[in-house]
Amino acid sequence: MSKKIRVAIAEPSEILRAGIIDMLRRINSLDIYIIEITDMNQLECVLCKYTPDLFIINPSATDTRITGKVRTLCGNNKMKSLALLHSLADSHTLEHYDDSISIYDSAEQIRNKIIKLFNVDLQKDISKELSKREKDIIVEVVKGLTNKQIADKLFISVHTVMTHRKNIASKLQIHSPSGLTIYAILNNLVDLDQVNY
Amino acid sequence: MTEKIYKLGKYTPADSMSDLICNNYPMLLVLSRFGISLGFGEKTIREVCRQNGVDEQTFLAVVNLLISDNREEVHNFGNDSIQCLLDYLHNSHSYFLDFRLPSIREKLLSVLDINQDHAAKAIIRFYDLYVEQVHTHMEYEETTVFPYVRSLLSGVKRGDYNIRVFCRQHDNIESKLSELKNILIKYYPPGNADELNSVLFDIFACASDLASHNFIEDNLFVPMITQMELNVKKQ
Repeated sequence: MSKKIRVAIAEPSEILRAGIIDMLRRINSLDIYIIEITDMNQLECVLCKYTPDLFIINPSATDTRITGKVRTLCGNNKMKSLALLHSLADSHTLEHYDDSISIYDSAEQIRNKIIKLFNVDLQKDISKELSKREKDIIVEVVKGLTNKQIADKLFISVHTVMTHRKNIASKLQIHSPSGLTIYAILNNLVDLDQVNY
Repeated sequence: MTEKIYKLGKYTPADSMSDLICNNYPMLLVLSRFGISLGFGEKTIREVCRQNGVDEQTFLAVVNLLISDNREEVHNFGNDSIQCLLDYLHNSHSYFLDFRLPSIREKLLSVLDINQDHAAKAIIRFYDLYVEQVHTHMEYEETTVFPYVRSLLSGVKRGDYNIRVFCRQHDNIESKLSELKNILIKYYPPGNADELNSVLFDIFACASDLASHNFIEDNLFVPMITQMELNVKKQ
């Protein structure tokens, strides 16, 4: 899973900005791009120019209605906003944001909030089991057949064979035929006399 | 999170060599590749380098780059520094090819029973293919890249080769080793855990050493040579 998320950070304090960026860096499994906004007068202009997916802002640094304003101004309706809280804030202020993070949050808490906002599909990575067809392909690869030979034998196109092989590589994290051989033997996919060492 | 004390900022010539090594034990490998042996007592990095005829600037550049992982602007290294880095890289190659990789193979052979176990045979085959690739990779550097750099050092730019060619095709050789690690961890049937773990630790360490070695080549060696190419061109 690597959904690109463009994050704009509007926080005048350089220490806090650096801190937030370092926290975001610790969140793996998300592909994050950073836009730093240091001058609050530039806010609207930068947000319209880069159309970020996520906007992290210190509510006390600017007008709370800024998110709404930018959404209409730039037609960036999908932009989500996170309030960056240094201290307690009243619920009236927070209404203007999709969610809030505190400077005391851990990287994991921040990660979960971002994932929730973007509805990132974490399920997708779970199914790493090979399909029957993929196992068939491995058997032929281990026997030493070329993609063309495999395609002919299984009555599919070379392109399909390549797609299967790509999926196998990404599911197993095994890319070479010699690696697949070990996998196939350990998982009893092949008879030993079929193996082309 | 494990708490660990670390030095803020870079190591300098005036820091003690034993502090450097005690706080960063992987730097032991760097020492031996520069031909520095242990037993330096309370001496500073500068003193130890001088005593061993090692260019202190190169030594610190390698050490600081490996410790901080931060690439920095490379500026004006003299010919002595480049020669010193060439020696370092060469020693690093022989460490992997003549010592590290063969010793892992030995260990694999002693853990796996290749006469009984067919997977074991496939694993050794995989490993041998891998070592062959590392040989090719490093031999290219020894026979093409290093001689090219030596020719630059003597002031002549040879042929139409330049360091960008190397840069483009320089692949990360550790990834296939990670593949083996992956297979053993995910699919290897239960057996003598202690011995298998010991090989796995070696493979992990070796993969990370190889990555560091490549990191130095990409982030110190290549920028140094690029700089030198510019200088030769100016002359």
